[in-house]
Amino acid sequence: MKTPGLTKLRGSVKVTVRGERIEIFINELAKERIEVWNLRPLAPDRMEMEIVISDYFRLRPLLKKTSCRVHVDKRAGLPFFWIRIFRRKWFLAGFALFFLIIFALSSMVWDVEVKGNKKIATEDILLAAREEGIYPFQWIFRLPEQDKLSKDLTRKLKGTSWVGVSKSGTKVTIEVVEAAKPKNTEMLSPRHLISKTDAVVTHIFAERGQPEVSKNQRVKKGSVLITGVQGDFQVAAKGEVRGLVWHEYTIEAPLVLRQKVFTGEKKERGYLYFGDTAVQIWGYGKVKYEQSQTLTRLDPLTWREWKLPLGWMSEDVMEVTELETKQSPEMTIQRGLERAKLDILAKNGADARIVQQKILHENTDNGKVYMKVLFEVEQNIAEEFPIVHNQGE
Amino acid sequence: MGRFSRKLRKWSVDFLDLPQDLVFDLPRLTMVGNKQLLIENHRGVLHFSPDKLKLALTDGSLDVDGRGLVIKAIMPEEVLIEGYISAIQYFGTGEKG
Repeated sequence: MKTPGLTKLRGSVKVTVRGERIEIFINELAKERIEVWNLRPLAPDRMEMEIVISDYFRLRPLLKKTSCRVHVDKRAGLPFFWIRIFRRKWFLAGFALFFLIIFALSSMVWDVEVKGNKKIATEDILLAAREEGIYPFQWIFRLPEQDKLSKDLTRKLKGTSWVGVSKSGTKVTIEVVEAAKPKNTEMLSPRHLISKTDAVVTHIFAERGQPEVSKNQRVKKGSVLITGVQGDFQVAAKGEVRGLVWHEYTIEAPLVLRQKVFTGEKKERGYLYFGDTAVQIWGYGKVKYEQSQTLTRLDPLTWREWKLPLGWMSEDVMEVTELETKQSPEMTIQRGLERAKLDILAKNGADARIVQQKILHENTDNGKVYMKVLFEVEQNIAEEFPIVHNQGE
Repeated sequence: MGRFSRKLRKWSVDFLDLPQDLVFDLPRLTMVGNKQLLIENHRGVLHFSPDKLKLALTDGSLDVDGRGLVIKAIMPEEVLIEGYISAIQYFGTGEKG
């Protein structure tokens, strides 16, 4: 005979019973089949016992009958635990809320990453993904099936052969395999290649079309070098024709070389700027330099990769003086020629090659060197010229 | 001694027609050392103190003496006592024996 089962679950109380007729009370308990246990006499008219809560409320008539009094000493079991817990319901609610928030935040898409795209802009892919429902702060459980997503995205994004969508944690990775496109072949209309200047042909190579001139042949401006007419067909002539061309340059170069140099004197100014307005913090006062150059450096506040529209601007006002150096006529001529050569290369293509240069005339006057130079340059001379139908006979 | 085995024993005694205690409503005492005492067929508690427990029987009464006596459980016909039991005294009228 032990204590009744599941007393912890049902909840039990330890009570003290006080009264003259305690023995009769015990007999009544037995008669009513009220389950009590651990009856312990404390004093002649006092007894301690344990009882299940539901039975505790059945004690009342018995107590009245035997004129005993009862006092609860100790409560134990789940029902009392719940009452205690319920008293702290807001604490508990916070506890639940915490788990709810953790769960909610972890079931959101936080990051969408696009991989493997070269020609398609990441923004376009993200836009297509957004239409499909993949975007930051979207619930993960609202995302469609992954194979459906990848199918729809593949259909939506032109120029892809496969789009894979994978999700790991709160991050969605969109992997794109771009379709290998055949190279765009230029659709060219029939044309000749003609000479753009008078020249002597040094090299002719016709990739398509019929060469009309040969090496060492003198050609005039506008004469056909490679024709696009091949029998009855008309093609877009293509090829490379190089020739010797004479360029005449009139060069004037000063004997005195002026250069701007920093003296090393400088004045620093510091500004705090907010958007377009800057407030000077230090470096007040006039600048005493005759000539100066100002270097401005912006140092915005950054947070991660974003630049904030406020920060520090520093200005260095540097004194500048002009330095004059006299040069010999030879050096001046050299300098003039170098400049002319750069000009030739800029005008006739980087593959132009100067074969020969000849100073025809040279004259120093008013601190300047005047000269006339003839350059013999080997360069590309071909120019496209469309073949026009219906030339109006 | 479990409750079930006790019940089974009761039933078998009944079935085999070996009653005594049931037939004559006699108390049945089961004692485990001096620590535990199970009394069946009692007729209520007359006195209860840490040193002495007096139980009513159909004829007469039963005194249990000891130290720190505790009623572990009580039911209309049964009572389980724990503690250090030193003496059991039977006051019978001898009418039914």
